[in-house]
Amino acid sequence: MATNPMQQFSVHKIGPEIKIAGIDLSFTNASLFMVISAASIALFLFLGTKEKRIIPDKIQLISEMLYSFVAKMISDTAGSKAKPYFPFIFSLFMFVLLCNMIGMLPYAFTVTSHIIVTLILALFIFIAVTVIGFMKHGFKYLSIFVPSGVPKVLLPLITVIEIISYLSRPVSLSVRLFANMMAGHTMLKVFGGFVISLGILGGWLPLGFSVALTGLEILVAFLQAYVFAILTCIYLNDALNLHH
Amino acid sequence: MIPPDDFKTRLKIAKSKIKKQILSDGEKRSAFMGSAFKLGTELVASVVVGTIIGFILDSWFDTKPWLIIIFFFLGAAAGMLNVIRAANRMQKEN
Repeated sequence: MATNPMQQFSVHKIGPEIKIAGIDLSFTNASLFMVISAASIALFLFLGTKEKRIIPDKIQLISEMLYSFVAKMISDTAGSKAKPYFPFIFSLFMFVLLCNMIGMLPYAFTVTSHIIVTLILALFIFIAVTVIGFMKHGFKYLSIFVPSGVPKVLLPLITVIEIISYLSRPVSLSVRLFANMMAGHTMLKVFGGFVISLGILGGWLPLGFSVALTGLEILVAFLQAYVFAILTCIYLNDALNLHH
Repeated sequence: MIPPDDFKTRLKIAKSKIKKQILSDGEKRSAFMGSAFKLGTELVASVVVGTIIGFILDSWFDTKPWLIIIFFFLGAAAGMLNVIRAANRMQKEN
């Protein structure tokens, strides 16, 4: 049995080593679980939309609820202009949600507990939003760094602060998801270790904690996917509707 | 008499109305929790980014340690700005 609570995060290769142009592209357990999440989303939504019943069955109902949940989130936070970006935000939300949820299964690997995964997701969003902003507004997009109604003396200082705050977006987005997932899973493992080491006499208390923490972790898994998606909407809103 | 198809659509509309009510309640609660989780990282991330920018600029201009100190404080200011903005957004939503 693995006693090290951090061992669950170790990435190891599955199958042969693949090297392309000096970059290690081997298939790892992380890639396996990403494929599993993507495949289960595709399968679930395929089954959910296969029969378009007027009175939906359970699987159709859940897919419709997910659809309307994300659609409402986008229209509430980013307005009607963000409608074309629905597929992206929906896939993002589903991918993060499924990665988090599959990570809650025993023996599963949590992809989102690795900062490189969340950072790449966040950087992709950050670059995409910046490109969209420049495409929609041209160089006027730079005016988000210059808030209105600021005295001229303070303007250089405020602009630098605004730029730092803009650049911190991908960091805060990725660190939040990664830290929440990693901390939660480490905690679960630590409490699990307590159950083993305290034995049948003292192990009941940490076992209870473990059960409670599992519930909390499922909540956190959903919440972090939700926060990730809603912040993407907020950033998209800033890029689409320039109001300063 | 109402034809059964009409009844089905009306039932669906009524059910979807109830569903929406439940959903919006749950949504609100999760939004609160989400924003609570948000504020902490918002503050820290800006400080980290500011410090990294200061470090890079320092090694470019050979002005160790001055820019890293200045940008640390600018990053802290940006973090507070971010937190205030996030809090404002939360208040607007309610």
